[in-house]
Amino acid sequence: MKRLSALIASTAVALAACAAPTTPAPSASQPTASPTQAPAASVAEPTKPPAAEPTTPPPTEVPAPKPEKLTVLCTPQEDWCQAMTKAFQDKFGIQTSYVRLSSGEALAKLRATKDNPEFSVWWGGPADTYIAAATEGLLEPYISPNAAQIPDAQKDPNGLWTGVYVGALGFCSNKNVLSQLGVEKPKSWEDLLNPKLKGQVAMAHPASSGTAYTAVWTQVARLGSVDAAFEYLNKLHQNILQYTKSGSAPGQMAGRGEVAVSVIFSHDCVKFADEGMDMLEVSFPEEGTGYEIGGVALIKGAPEPEAAKMWIDWVLTAEAQEIGPTVKSYQLPTNPNAKVSERSVKLSEVKLVDYNFTEAGKSRKEITKRFEDEITVAPK
Amino acid sequence: MTRDPALLIALLIATLFVLIAVVYPLAATLVQAVSPEGARVLGDVLGRPVYHRIILNTLVMGLVVAAIGTAVGFLFAYVQVRLAAPAWLKRLIHLVALVPVVSPPFAVAIAIIVLFGRSGFITSQLLGLRPDIYGLPGLTLAMTLSFFTVAYLNLAGLMRGLDPALDEAATNLGASKWHVFRTVTLPLLVPGIAGSFLLLFVEAIADLSNPLVLGGNYTVLAARLYLAIVGEYDITTGAALSLVLLVPSVVLYFVQLWLASRASVVTVTGKPSGRLQLIADRRVVIPLISAALLITALVALIYLTILAGAFTVSLGANNAFTWRNFEFVLLGYGSKAMSDTTTMSMIATLVAGLLSMVIAFLVVRGKFPGRSALDLGTMLGIAVPGTIFGIGYLLAFNKPTTLLGVTLLPKLTGGAAILGGALAIVMVYVIRSAPAGLRAGVSALQQIDPAIEEASISIGADQAVTFRRITLPLIRPALLTAMIYAFARSMTTVSAILFLTTPQTRIMTQQILNETEAGRFGNAFAYVTVLIAIVLLVIGALFALIGNRSGAERDTVLAQPPSASQL
Repeated sequence: MKRLSALIASTAVALAACAAPTTPAPSASQPTASPTQAPAASVAEPTKPPAAEPTTPPPTEVPAPKPEKLTVLCTPQEDWCQAMTKAFQDKFGIQTSYVRLSSGEALAKLRATKDNPEFSVWWGGPADTYIAAATEGLLEPYISPNAAQIPDAQKDPNGLWTGVYVGALGFCSNKNVLSQLGVEKPKSWEDLLNPKLKGQVAMAHPASSGTAYTAVWTQVARLGSVDAAFEYLNKLHQNILQYTKSGSAPGQMAGRGEVAVSVIFSHDCVKFADEGMDMLEVSFPEEGTGYEIGGVALIKGAPEPEAAKMWIDWVLTAEAQEIGPTVKSYQLPTNPNAKVSERSVKLSEVKLVDYNFTEAGKSRKEITKRFEDEITVAPK
Repeated sequence: MTRDPALLIALLIATLFVLIAVVYPLAATLVQAVSPEGARVLGDVLGRPVYHRIILNTLVMGLVVAAIGTAVGFLFAYVQVRLAAPAWLKRLIHLVALVPVVSPPFAVAIAIIVLFGRSGFITSQLLGLRPDIYGLPGLTLAMTLSFFTVAYLNLAGLMRGLDPALDEAATNLGASKWHVFRTVTLPLLVPGIAGSFLLLFVEAIADLSNPLVLGGNYTVLAARLYLAIVGEYDITTGAALSLVLLVPSVVLYFVQLWLASRASVVTVTGKPSGRLQLIADRRVVIPLISAALLITALVALIYLTILAGAFTVSLGANNAFTWRNFEFVLLGYGSKAMSDTTTMSMIATLVAGLLSMVIAFLVVRGKFPGRSALDLGTMLGIAVPGTIFGIGYLLAFNKPTTLLGVTLLPKLTGGAAILGGALAIVMVYVIRSAPAGLRAGVSALQQIDPAIEEASISIGADQAVTFRRITLPLIRPALLTAMIYAFARSMTTVSAILFLTTPQTRIMTQQILNETEAGRFGNAFAYVTVLIAIVLLVIGALFALIGNRSGAERDTVLAQPPSASQL
């Protein structure tokens, strides 16, 4: 018994010793890029034509020692992740695998593994989260030669992240359920507060989902302050059935008739409708809606940096950006040379809010925490 | 005896394993929870009304599920043991009731949405209702159907052990059947009922999968804890919340074990004497059997829905037949998850099976101080909710383990760790399944006279040979139990490994969670179907390999409490 307890005691001492440094040290290592002054972010029109001449063909990549494999942290829909990694693998002969995580989960994963990253490149998901990650020193700047083709408003000048697609937030409604409830298709954020929609609205949780974070920040942008936004979200909470983990899941719930309205990116709604849930229809709030610039970034300490750079170069090409529509992912391409699917949202027809990505990214931690503490557990 | 080197080595290995794989990660969580930062969060949790609400939600859910689940389990046990009914009917009810044990979590929850959701087959299309199953009602239904088997097997075991002479005596003295039930049978079963109740309570409050799918806005501790880690990597909040969940779970688990040991005292008087008079009164038999059949039908319906959903594009929304879900799981993206999970579970099964027998031997036959500490340490593996081990492993093994400056272990968790993080996952599988094996081993060994082993030693065999040639064959049924249990549990574990999966190690249950969460029910159903098939196949193979002698043993095999959340 004595031996055993001695062993336990010494383990406990060792525990105390090594448990101390687990509290994440503030990252002092962020030499080159300061995300504070980074992106020309507060953009009203994400699709404004690029300054650079869009006609230059993408420079071809011929790496000297060929990388063998690549692990992608992938945030968009699973089938798009599969199509992209397969196309990349076929083209470059690099064995490419991915794990799909929602934006917030992806950020949490990068935090968790920052001393020993598992992933080399992060693709997809709103730029806000990329900015949050850059602020924490989790990303490595990389200015791809192909980034020149991407409009300035859709990338970080220091190369911490580069835009790969654009999408607008919308309402994705099940028209059968709406007509059962005797409610019109929602046309404004205020419409979502209709008491007839009690328990009939779904959105994701902003801590785990970038989509939901975009929706939350949209309220900040349109109402002018975080407090006003939370006042609205608190009212909306009365009608919310469930905050899901991943951003597009509420669209599936609407498609199955579990709820009447979901707040998701409009391209996901079109995707689900095209895949058989044809009772789904998209509408946009007239007060203005938020939008995302989906990003791509090199992860700091990436185990496969060369392959990761090849991935970033490639996803910025028109060719790679035209893969989305083949798997019914209708985000708008950021490369002006990429063909735009007719199923994609026409941003000129949608009123957008003035979405400040830098602010949104930097406030992420604080806002998600406030959401968790004030909204999700608020009484009904 | 302790001078035998083999015994000493076994003791050393078992102790080290328990210390490293169970005690150390738990201690790491505790240290984090009581660190200044953790204490602040803990103060927050205990002081703020929002958290009071979450804690209250968790407790209410635990109580409701425990009460209903135990009642259903009791009904099934009573029908099985005490009622006169055709054997095939009992067999059918028994087999269907066992399915939840070998099925992954989520399965029931998704099927419930498809069947009883707002647009569910039964609620909406047959009855024209639009009920609200999200929140407590859905959680209660899903958890009751997932966990009642535990109560059923426990109580059936106890009822079989009751001495029929007591019933007979009471009846002979003129008591009615109802009177006998109320004043004789029920009081004897009280410790067992209380034990089942506590076990289900612990399972319910630790469950993560059902709240993620069906929770609605009914926030419970386990789900909040999950979001703190997965959504924010806020490991301090995670650890603090763990502590809140840990204390009641561990305390109640051990109270339950103690009650169970008291309950079995009933049988110590010897083998049940006489034959039990089965109840044939139709006024009793018909309602009880109908109730049991109704629930059996519900369970069967749920699993048939899963099977149908696996062959459907999107059950409910688009009912076209398709092979694509299986293509995805068997040949496509899911095939790696399938092979990874099965391989790791098989390794864990071997390790857990053997380890639990060795520990059982040490606990029963060993004559060293601290035996009960070894027993207790092993049991912690199941008494502690899985999520807490997930956090503990992250805290403990996300960097090399050093003791006094000497590196004992390399980094175990995360994709950059050795074997792509697979070692940590297998360790979790082992510690989660060893306790059941240990209990099976202990009770088997207690029935074997040590004289047999002593004889082997006195004619010259050493401890190692005796254990391998004499003891192990004698406790073969217990080993079989341990291995079956270990495999089923490893394959269906979710909460303990959610934080530990890496790009190199794909786990089926986690893929099921992803598919469910994203609303791709077809793929999720196909995964569930394949997973159940694998578990049944391997159980069959284990039976064939290790062998069991009679049909009766199969019941004892599955009668081991699969305790704590079926995750």
